[in-house]
Amino acid sequence: MLVVASIVFLGAVGMLVMGWVRRDRPGLPFVGENETANTFLVVLFGMGIPIAILVALFVISDLVLLKETDAPDAGSTAMTVTVVGHQWFWEASYEGGAETANEIHIPVRTPVELVARSADVIHSFWVPELNRKIDMIPGQANSIELYAERPGVFRGQCAEFCGLQHAHMAFRVYAEPRRRFDSWLASSERPAADPQSTQAKQGQRYFLEDGCAACHTIAGTQAEGTVGPNLTHLAGRDTIAADTLPNTPEDLFRWIQNPQSVKPGTKMPGLGLGAKKYHAIVAYLTELR
Amino acid sequence: MSSVPRSSIPRSMEASGPGEAGAVAAARRTAPSGWWGAALLIATEATLFSCLIATYFYLRFKTGEWPPNGIEKPSVTLPLVFTGMLVATSLPMFLSVKAAKGGAVRAAWWLLALATAVQATYLGLQIHLMVDDLNSFSPQVNAYASIYYTLITTHHAHVAIGLALDAWLLWKLARGITNYRLIALRVAAFYWYFVSVAAVAVVLTQLYPSL
Amino acid sequence: MTVSTPPATTVRINRLERIWKETPGLLGWLTTTDHKRIGILYFFTSLFFFGAGGVEALLIRTQLIGPNQSTLDPATFNEMMSTHGTTMIFFFVVPMSLGAFGNYLIPLMIGARDMAFPRLNALTYWIFLCAGIFLYVGVFSGNAPSAGWFDYVPLASKAYSPGPGIDFYALSLLFVGISTTAGAINAIVTIFKLRAPGMSLNRMPLFCFAFLAVSFALVFALPALSTALILLELERLLGFHFFIPASGGDPILWQNLFWIFGHPEVYIIILPAFGIATSIIPTFVRQKMVAFPLVALAEILVAFLGFGVWAHHMFAVGLASATTIYFAAASLVIVIPSGIQLFSWITTIVTGTPRFKTPLLWIIGFIVLFIMGGLSGVTFAAIPFDQQTTDTYYVVAHFHYVIFGAAVFPLLGGMYYWFPKVTGRMYHERWGQASFWLTFVGTNITFFPMHILGLDGMPRRNYTYGPEMGWTGLNLIETLGAYLLALGLLSVFANLAISLFRGERAGNDPWGGDTLEWSTTSPPPEYNYAVIPKVSSPYAMWDEEDREEDRRNLELGRKTLERGHETPASTAVDAEWDEILEMPSHSAWPPLVALAMAAVFTMVLLQQWLGAAIFTAILALTVVGFHLKEPEEA
Repeated sequence: MLVVASIVFLGAVGMLVMGWVRRDRPGLPFVGENETANTFLVVLFGMGIPIAILVALFVISDLVLLKETDAPDAGSTAMTVTVVGHQWFWEASYEGGAETANEIHIPVRTPVELVARSADVIHSFWVPELNRKIDMIPGQANSIELYAERPGVFRGQCAEFCGLQHAHMAFRVYAEPRRRFDSWLASSERPAADPQSTQAKQGQRYFLEDGCAACHTIAGTQAEGTVGPNLTHLAGRDTIAADTLPNTPEDLFRWIQNPQSVKPGTKMPGLGLGAKKYHAIVAYLTELR
Repeated sequence: MSSVPRSSIPRSMEASGPGEAGAVAAARRTAPSGWWGAALLIATEATLFSCLIATYFYLRFKTGEWPPNGIEKPSVTLPLVFTGMLVATSLPMFLSVKAAKGGAVRAAWWLLALATAVQATYLGLQIHLMVDDLNSFSPQVNAYASIYYTLITTHHAHVAIGLALDAWLLWKLARGITNYRLIALRVAAFYWYFVSVAAVAVVLTQLYPSL
Repeated sequence: MTVSTPPATTVRINRLERIWKETPGLLGWLTTTDHKRIGILYFFTSLFFFGAGGVEALLIRTQLIGPNQSTLDPATFNEMMSTHGTTMIFFFVVPMSLGAFGNYLIPLMIGARDMAFPRLNALTYWIFLCAGIFLYVGVFSGNAPSAGWFDYVPLASKAYSPGPGIDFYALSLLFVGISTTAGAINAIVTIFKLRAPGMSLNRMPLFCFAFLAVSFALVFALPALSTALILLELERLLGFHFFIPASGGDPILWQNLFWIFGHPEVYIIILPAFGIATSIIPTFVRQKMVAFPLVALAEILVAFLGFGVWAHHMFAVGLASATTIYFAAASLVIVIPSGIQLFSWITTIVTGTPRFKTPLLWIIGFIVLFIMGGLSGVTFAAIPFDQQTTDTYYVVAHFHYVIFGAAVFPLLGGMYYWFPKVTGRMYHERWGQASFWLTFVGTNITFFPMHILGLDGMPRRNYTYGPEMGWTGLNLIETLGAYLLALGLLSVFANLAISLFRGERAGNDPWGGDTLEWSTTSPPPEYNYAVIPKVSSPYAMWDEEDREEDRRNLELGRKTLERGHETPASTAVDAEWDEILEMPSHSAWPPLVALAMAAVFTMVLLQQWLGAAIFTAILALTVVGFHLKEPEEA
C-alpha cells in the first residue's frame, strides 16, 4: 500500500510542479489547449486509475486477508481464554478454573480463542504483534484468535479510551513451549501458597483484615473480592499495575502505599496503613508464587 | 423613477386582502421561500423520527422478549382510532388553504378552527392514554419503556407545537389575510400533513408488539 | 471606479444607500440582519474558538513532549483532548465555513441582496454564540467533558462520568445544532430561490454547489446526532435506559447513531473547502475549471455517498463480517468523486497560467495535504489494516491531514482571497507567502510523524507514555512542529490584522476574479448590487457584455429594485424571475430568542425542570415576537 500511495502522491505533486514550471504556457504539454484532453485526464486519473487500484485493494484485503482476522470458527481452536476489561486492568480466566490478571500465558503454535468482554466501559484488547484489536463491550462477547508462531513475550495495551488511566492499561502475552505452559497452568489452578516467613504471615493478616480482601481474590483464603485483579499467584508475574511498574518489592510497596502517585485516578484507595504494615503485606505478596 | 422590466412581476409582500393574496399565490411559479424552509425543517424532523423508530427496532432486535419484564402488550383499538382522527384533520386543513387562496377568509378561518379543535382533542386523548400507561409502567423500568415513551412524547410535542402554530394563525387570520399569512397557512397545513404521517409511523411502531 | 457616474445613477445609488442604511453603533450590530455583518460576526467568534481549540492542542502537545510529563494530570488531559475536538469541529470549522464564508459570499455570488431568511440568519449567529459560551462555562468551571469528542457510552454515562461535563457537551451540541440546521436550511432556500434571474443552475458558481451539497448533508445528518444526544441526556438526567446492557440497552446503539451523523459530518467539514478551492483556482490560473459539470456532480455525490459508510469507524467492534465488508466497499466508492475533483483542480492548474499568490499557495498546500490525508484514509478500507491502526496515532494523523490540511488551508486561503473584498484593503503579499510556508512546514512536522507512531503502536488519547516505548523522539518532533505551526498561524492573522489598518486600498477587483462579488465595491455596499446582475455563465465577471449591460441598466433604472429592501426571487432550476421579495432590515428578536433558548438549556443542565418549563414558555413568547412584524409592515 505504501508503494502505491507514494506513486500516486509523487505523481500528483509532479503534476503540480509541472504547473509551476509551465506557468506561462497555457494548455497541456505536447497537446496544448484541448478541452477533450483535459477532461480525459480528469476521468482517467480521477476515476479510471482509482477504480483499478481500489478494486485490487478491496479484493486483497477485504476478501482474502480478512479471513485471518475474523472471529475463529467454532471448533477450530484448541483452548479458550476469557479476558474481561476493567478500569484499568485485565482479568483473565482459563477453562480449567485458573484465574489471573494482566499477564496471559498461551502455548506456542496453538490456536487460542480469546474471548473479550468488559465489566464496565468499552475497552479494546490489542496485541499488535499477534492480531488485530477487538473491542470489549459490556453485554457482548467478542472473540479473535491468538496464535504465536514462536515463543516470546508480546506486549498488549488497551486501545479504546476508557477513562483516566487508559494510558496505563497494558498487559503481556507469554507464548511458551507446551510443557512450560502446562506447568504454568497447573500451578495457576492451585490455591495460593501459605505464607512462610513471620513477616509474611503478619502481612496476610493485615491483607485480610485491613481492607485489601474487599477488592482482591487470593484463592484458598477468605479474600474473595472481585473489584480488583486476582492476586493468587502475583509473585509469578513480571509486572504490576497492568504493566505499569516492574514487580519488585520496592515498586510493590510504592504502588500499594500510594496508588494515586502511580496511576492518578485509579480505583485502589490509599488505605493509610503505615509503612510497617505495607512492608509486611509486600512480604506476603512476594511469596505468592 | 423606478420601473421593473416585466411589470407583471408581483411585489408579493404588498399583497393584502383576500383577493390580492390569492392572486399572488396563483401567479407564483415556484413555492414561496417560507414553504421551502418549512419543507426542509420537516425533512429534519422526519429524519429525527426515523432515527427514533430505528432505535426502537434496534433495541427490539437486541432483546428476547418484547415487551420485556412482564409489561403488557399495548392495546390496539384506541390508539388507532385516535390516529385516524388526526389524519382526518388533513381534510379541513387542505380545504382551509384552498378557501384562503380563493379569497374566502372566513371559511378558511372556520375550517382551521375545526381542525384545531379536533387536533387538540386528539392530543388530550393521547395524553390521557399515556397517563394510563404511566400508571402501569414507568420509562425508567427498561429500554422498551424508555424508547416507548420517548417516541410517543416526541410525537406529542410536535402536535403541541402544531397547535401553537394553529393558535397564532387563528389570531392573525381573524385580522385579515396577507400574502405572508397565506404562506403561513400553507406551511401549517404542510406541517400537519407531516405530523399525520409521523403519527401513523409512530403508532404502528408503538403497537408493533400487538400487531 | 474612474468612469464618471451619470447623475441618474447617483440618484439611484443614494436612494439605495438610504433605504439599506444600517443602524449605527453597537445597537446596529446587535440587531443586524445583513448577511455580511452576520458573516463578520461569525468570522470573529469562530476565530476565537479556533484560538481556544489551538490552546488546548498546544497544552496536549506540551504534555506529550516527553515521557511521563506532568504538565497536565490525566483528568485535565482528558478534558483538553475532548474539548479540543469538540471546539474545533462544532465551534470553529463548521461555523467558519457555513456561517462566515457561506453567509457573506452566497448572496453576493448569486447576485442577491441578502439570504432568504435574514432574521433567521441573525438568530443562527446568536444561538452559536450562546452555545459556545455555554460549553465554555463548563470548561472554565472545571466541568469540561472528558469522554472524547465522540463521547462513547458507557464511559459517558452517569455511572462512569458522574459530573456535569458530559451534560455540558450534549446540551451545547444540541443547542448549536439548532443554529447549524437553520443555517443549512437558509442556504438551501437562498441558493434555490434567490439567484439572480438568468442564473440557471448550470450557470451557478461551483462554490454554491459545494454549499448546497453541505447544507443538504447537514439537514439529514444532524438529526441523528440530536437523537443520540437526547437519548443520552434522558438516560443521564432522567434515568431512562438506552445504552446500558443490564436494562436492555446497547452501547453500540450510541456508536451507530453518532457515526450516522459523524461520517457525513466529516464531508460537511471538507465540502466548503472544496467550494473555496474551486473559486480561487480559476481566478489565479486565469482559466475556467476543467470538467465543470463533473466537479459539480462530484461535490453533490460526496455529500450523498457520505451517508452510506458510517460503520467504517466501527471495524473493531465485532460486527458481522459481511457488514464490515459492505462498509469497506462503500467507503472506497467515495474516493472516486474526490479523485475527480482533485484531478480537475490539478489539471486546471497545469493547463492554466498560474500566478502563485498567497491564496493559490494555500490551495496548492491544500491539494498536497488532501492527497496525503486521502491516501491514509483509503488504507482504512483495508479492514485488517484498519483493525490494527484504528484508535492509534495513525488515525490522528489521517484526520488532521484532512481536517486541518484539507479543510482549514482553503479557509485560510479564502481569508486572503476575499480580504480585499471584505475590507477594501490588500494584505502584505510577501508576508502572506512566508506565513503560508511556515504553516505548511509546521503542519507536516506536527502530523506526519503521527503516521509512524501509529504504525508503531501508540494509541490515541493517552495522556502519557513510558520512555521504554521508543515514542519519545517523534513526540518531541511533533510538539516542536506544533509550536512552529502555532507561530505560522499567528503570522497569518497578524498579517491580516495589521493590513486591516495599514494595507493598501484595494479596488473592486484586484485579482481579476470570476464570480459576481468582484463586480461590486470593496467592501460591498449594504445592498450588494445597485442593479441585479445579468448572468450568462458561471464566470460572470469574465462576461464583459453582461457587466456593460448592468451599467446601462443602472442608468436606466432597470432591475434596480429601489422601492424598499427588495431582492428578486426566481424559479429553482432555470432562475426565471418569479417575485420581488421585501427583506427585513433590523430586529432585536434574534438575540432575545437566543437568550431565551440559552436559559432553557441552562435550566435543563441544572435539572431545574420548573425553570425549564417557565423559560420554554418565555421562549415561545419571543418566537411570537419574532413573527409579530410582518414583511409588509417593514
